[in-house]
Amino acid sequence: MTGSYDYRLVTLSVVMAVCAAYAALDLAGRTTASRGRVRLVWLAGGAAAMGLGIWSMHYIGMLAFLLPVPVFYDWPTVVVSLFAAIFASGVALFVVSRRRMDWSDALAGSVIMGGGIATMHYIGMAAMRLPAMHHYDLPLVILSVLVAIVMSLVALWLSFHLRDHAKTSWPQKGASAFVMGAGVAAMHYTGMAAATFTPSTMPPDLSHAVHISPLGIAGITSVTLLVLGLVSISAFVDRRFAAQTRALTESELLKRQLENVVEELKKSEDRLRVLIETIPALAWTSLADGSNDFSNQRLLEYMGISLEQMQGAGWTTPFHPEDIGEHLDKWRSALATGEPFENEARVRRAADGEYRWFLIRGLPLRDERGNIVKWYGTMTDIEDRKRAEEALRKANADLAHITRVMTMGELAASIAHEINQPLAAVVTNADACMEWLSSEPPNLEEARAAVDCIAQDGTRASEVLRHIRAMFTKANPERTTVHVNELIREIDGLMQAEASRNQVALQTELAADLPATIGDRVQLQQVIVNLVLNGIEAMSAVTDRPRRLVIRSERQDSDQVLVAVRDSGVGIDAKDVRRIFDAFFTTKAQGMGMGLSICHSIIEAHGGRLWASTNSDHGATLQFTLPANRETVS
Amino acid sequence: MTDPNPIVFVVDDDASVRDAVKRLIASVGLRVETFGSAHEFLNHKRSDGPGCLVLDVRLPDLDGLEFQRALAEANICIPIIFITGHGDIPMSVRAMKAGAVEFLTKPFRGRELLCAIQEAIARDRVACSERAQMNELRARYGSLTVREKEVLGLVASGFLNKQIGAELGTSELTIKTHRGHVMQKMGAQSLADLVKMFEKLKPGDRKP
Repeated sequence: MTGSYDYRLVTLSVVMAVCAAYAALDLAGRTTASRGRVRLVWLAGGAAAMGLGIWSMHYIGMLAFLLPVPVFYDWPTVVVSLFAAIFASGVALFVVSRRRMDWSDALAGSVIMGGGIATMHYIGMAAMRLPAMHHYDLPLVILSVLVAIVMSLVALWLSFHLRDHAKTSWPQKGASAFVMGAGVAAMHYTGMAAATFTPSTMPPDLSHAVHISPLGIAGITSVTLLVLGLVSISAFVDRRFAAQTRALTESELLKRQLENVVEELKKSEDRLRVLIETIPALAWTSLADGSNDFSNQRLLEYMGISLEQMQGAGWTTPFHPEDIGEHLDKWRSALATGEPFENEARVRRAADGEYRWFLIRGLPLRDERGNIVKWYGTMTDIEDRKRAEEALRKANADLAHITRVMTMGELAASIAHEINQPLAAVVTNADACMEWLSSEPPNLEEARAAVDCIAQDGTRASEVLRHIRAMFTKANPERTTVHVNELIREIDGLMQAEASRNQVALQTELAADLPATIGDRVQLQQVIVNLVLNGIEAMSAVTDRPRRLVIRSERQDSDQVLVAVRDSGVGIDAKDVRRIFDAFFTTKAQGMGMGLSICHSIIEAHGGRLWASTNSDHGATLQFTLPANRETVS
Repeated sequence: MTDPNPIVFVVDDDASVRDAVKRLIASVGLRVETFGSAHEFLNHKRSDGPGCLVLDVRLPDLDGLEFQRALAEANICIPIIFITGHGDIPMSVRAMKAGAVEFLTKPFRGRELLCAIQEAIARDRVACSERAQMNELRARYGSLTVREKEVLGLVASGFLNKQIGAELGTSELTIKTHRGHVMQKMGAQSLADLVKMFEKLKPGDRKP
């Protein structure tokens, strides 16, 4: 007895299988996405729907098989076969919805699922009630079970890897569903091929048996499709809902992250601001065109101008009028060339109106194309450094002058030689002249020549003297306000070493109410240093009493400043007191008699007077007066 | 000994001083030659004869004292009168020790210099004659044979002819003959004269 197939129903059965497979893929995704009880509900519902689909496919396939005898079905067996299908689907869904699936999981799952489907199929076959015997071809039965298992494996693998819908396109899923559906159908028809029906005269047991009519087919199909559709729709809705929830959570997360970033930025900006406001420098930034766009508080406070003024033309006002021109020139040139900017200029401090020296620096910030975007700059107060430099320069200059005075002794030797030469020639010529005149007969010609030379050498000697004077008197003596006490204190500092080398106690007695004088600071310094050196030298032979040298300042009358240098040396002979200021008069073994003479000239040039006196006990006092600066006389 | 006109050399870098000194010296009829530096003087060819040197201590090329030393090393014996712009005692002491006749500080009086020059020339004159005598003596000693020099040495040491003969391994007669030649060649009038001459010769001159 051979059967034939109704191919419309075969097609329908395959469609049913594909639909079931599609639903299964959907459900796998939803089951994976959910947790706890929801997951259980999805698993149960999914298993039921999918089982129903497979089962429907099976019975439609059975109905497509046409036998020349009437076929009935034992409905309790049919129900059992439905549960087998649901069980198999449940196992499959459970396996694919897990986080991870390795090969052993997949194999075990597919064996159970395939086994379930095969069980469903053969239970379904067993539900048949017809007047025929059916036999099974064992190899084909085994093949059908293998097909079921392989199909299950493919289905599990596809489901597992396609369950994340976000990554799966619709045609991909469709194709997978088709492969799975075809697999289920293949199993069924292989199973059908394994069966052969032989007619028998024994009537079938028809208790509980039902006949499946075309109306029944329509019913099974529509109910199954309805269930599968519902499942798919609910899966779709759930998926959309989940996606929305996820999207919402993600946007919330993004928002929060953004807020964090903003917060961090704000903090870092605050830190930078605090840094910029607290660094001990005046900081600023400018745009590429040189216009100021930021200045720190310190800078604004120092200059005493507002941010608006700073950003306008007002920023130049605090600069020293003598420096602003050069400053602007350099700034413009830096803007034009893009070279780092650096300049030193005086800037007025608003608090007290003092101009202080600043080092102003600016560096350009460039974009990736090398265009200047901004200038970053600082202003550093270098007033103290400048002052130190100035003081050092001045001290060096003063030292040079003092050294000049102190080496006068050595200078004297060469000067002495210079003057002595013409003097020696004069004397020798005079003697030669005498010799020629006293010879018999007198040689007048030679005598005249000698006298001629005397006149020449005399002139030469006075030339030398004139040069020396010029050397010790500056061509343009300075006329500045001089505070004598300050001068003495400086000299005291400079001469202490020299004094202690000669075992001399050098002291100062300075009047507090001393008015200032006008004069050449360096020349006056030379005079005092010279008097001090003379005093120290005058004490070199003193061993029986302390060697003491006192520089004293005093106000005399109302408009005179007196400076006295008192030593405890050998003193000055009464007859020499007036002569010691003459050029070339000296009481010293090594002296040349220039020092005091020069001192005398300097003091007279300052409108003062220099004189010497012998002390009542020991030593001498050399003192000079200077007119006080009228403006400072109170 | 003939005495040609004595000559005074003046070395001073200052032209006016140099000329004044030259004029002063010329006024007493002495020959004067002037030089601006030590090297000028050292390179100058001088004729023999008495003279002296008037030298400025401070010279541009050579210090006066160094110059004095250089002269001694070059075996030039000439009395020196130093003149200086700034006399200091240590320097003058050193100069005098090194054989300076006088040390004058500028400005000096003409008479002082002239006196010093006269003294220096007188000294040089003696030195010159001594030098001449010594040269003569050396020349005479140089004319002796080696044997005669040996004999002279032993005679001056007070040995008798007999002893000398024994010492030199020859006869007394031969020594007597040598002695006669020595007396004749050296121009000695007596034995005492010969001994005196020999004493004058320095050990360096006595080499055979």
